[in-house]
Amino acid sequence: MLALLLILWLPFTRGIWMSLHEWPVVGERTFIGFDNYEFLLGWDTFYISIKATIIYGLSTVLQLVIALVAALLIVNQKWFKNFTSSLFLLPYTLPPVVSGTVWLYLLDPNFGPILTALTDYGLLENGLFWRSSGDLAITVITLVGAWTFWPFMFIIILATLQSIPEEHYEAAKIYGANRVQRFLKVTLPQLKSAIIVAVTLRTIWNLSKVAQPLQMTGGGPGYDTSVLGILLYRFASDNGRMGLSFAVGIFLLLLTSVFIVVFIRENRRSQQTELK
Amino acid sequence: MTHNTVKASDYAFTLLRYLTLFGLLGTILIPLAFVISVSFRPPEEFFTSGVYLIPKNPSLEAWEQALRFLVEPLKNSLLIASGTTIVSMLIAVPGAYVFGRKEFPGKDIIYYALFVSLLFPHILLIAPITDIWFEIKLYNTVIGMWLALQVFVIPFMIYILRDYFEKLPQNLEEAAQIYGCTEFTAFVRVVLPIAMPAVVAVAFLAFLIGWNEFLFANMLTSGQGPRPAIVELFLLTQGTSGNVYWGRLMAITLVLGTPPTVLYLFARSYLGQAFNIT
Repeated sequence: MLALLLILWLPFTRGIWMSLHEWPVVGERTFIGFDNYEFLLGWDTFYISIKATIIYGLSTVLQLVIALVAALLIVNQKWFKNFTSSLFLLPYTLPPVVSGTVWLYLLDPNFGPILTALTDYGLLENGLFWRSSGDLAITVITLVGAWTFWPFMFIIILATLQSIPEEHYEAAKIYGANRVQRFLKVTLPQLKSAIIVAVTLRTIWNLSKVAQPLQMTGGGPGYDTSVLGILLYRFASDNGRMGLSFAVGIFLLLLTSVFIVVFIRENRRSQQTELK
Repeated sequence: MTHNTVKASDYAFTLLRYLTLFGLLGTILIPLAFVISVSFRPPEEFFTSGVYLIPKNPSLEAWEQALRFLVEPLKNSLLIASGTTIVSMLIAVPGAYVFGRKEFPGKDIIYYALFVSLLFPHILLIAPITDIWFEIKLYNTVIGMWLALQVFVIPFMIYILRDYFEKLPQNLEEAAQIYGCTEFTAFVRVVLPIAMPAVVAVAFLAFLIGWNEFLFANMLTSGQGPRPAIVELFLLTQGTSGNVYWGRLMAITLVLGTPPTVLYLFARSYLGQAFNIT
């Protein structure tokens, strides 16, 4: 067990040490104290990256809305319930790099069906070269991210919905509650914990996504879609500046730590109620 | 009067329900239909204009090219994913059991140390792990990949399995010990068989994480090493402009997407239970 913890936490500790150095993959390491952190805080591009990360993280909201709607639709479905909910899982079961490839094709400005259809119907004059516009690129990766990851929340919400006893609804009906009231007074309170858990987990994971957005835009144009994860990756992989890369990671950790705390508290609370 | 209005709103509600349902299904099935269709088109067909689903000259060329390209990378993927699964099972199953059913000093603290590592963004570890792997000569090896992936596979597995072990009847081991089992054989002969479905589901999840994982695989392997198929696909999509043969890429995505999808559909009910927090 202790060995296990060592595997998990040793790299982290070493990373902190590394972040205080100019640390190339091979070659001389120099101790520079907090210069990496200072550099980041004084570097304009770093704030572009934080902004991109927050915008990309907002796809959590979209994911929640889609997942909630889908779960509510499915839970009372009589026919093909299992089949339909399995279909809903498809975006999530594909490797993100695979779904990224699929959307790169669908949204290809020259040959992809979506933009071709729009130009054919005269809604667009030319192909839309979304990869070269910062605003469009970040919108596209955020939407594709929402499409890819919403089924995770769907699984959690659906499982919880199914565990709400039918009697609750019947009682509410007897007291004359309409559809909206039943949703607000019965469904939503029961879902509260599940939603908090799903949202915090997904926010943490969305804030630290790399593979799919990196694949779709390469972090560009410029640094417009370089979320912190991509920035970290670019420093480590392209420039071999390992120390700086880890320093970016520390800021990412700070950004997600709020959600980590919320998740742990919620988890602890639900375990205590379970014991009672 | 009131009776009728309720009925009308019911019809409207049902209609809205089905529209939304089919709309949502459309966002999944339409892309899928295009992917399948495109994978059967010959290269020339990409320069014709218009949007249509049925290929004009169906051909298997894309699939042939894709499979030829994938032979080596798929072997690597398979090796990495199955090894990752085995290593993680050896550690996570007994680990989850101990956390779920035993008391020992420091249990809470150790559990939270694991738990936090489930949540924190693993990507920040790419720098130190790459660096350490270089130093201990694990860079570009299959074993290196197995070990690196444990960092996030194990906490995930323990989180799901611990919950399952905890919910088993309290006196299971005691009963087994009355019949002459030791603590260890009680675990192997009694608890483990009962927990088998959950253990298998978690093994599937470990496999698909190993199969899907991109970032560590990309940092820790090179073209001469055991580079898995996901990284190869990523590289194919980089620096592509215009003249890429999308048919081949779509065939590759179908090949790579199928195994995790199948495994996921098996494992999903356990995933739902583990996160079912009311």
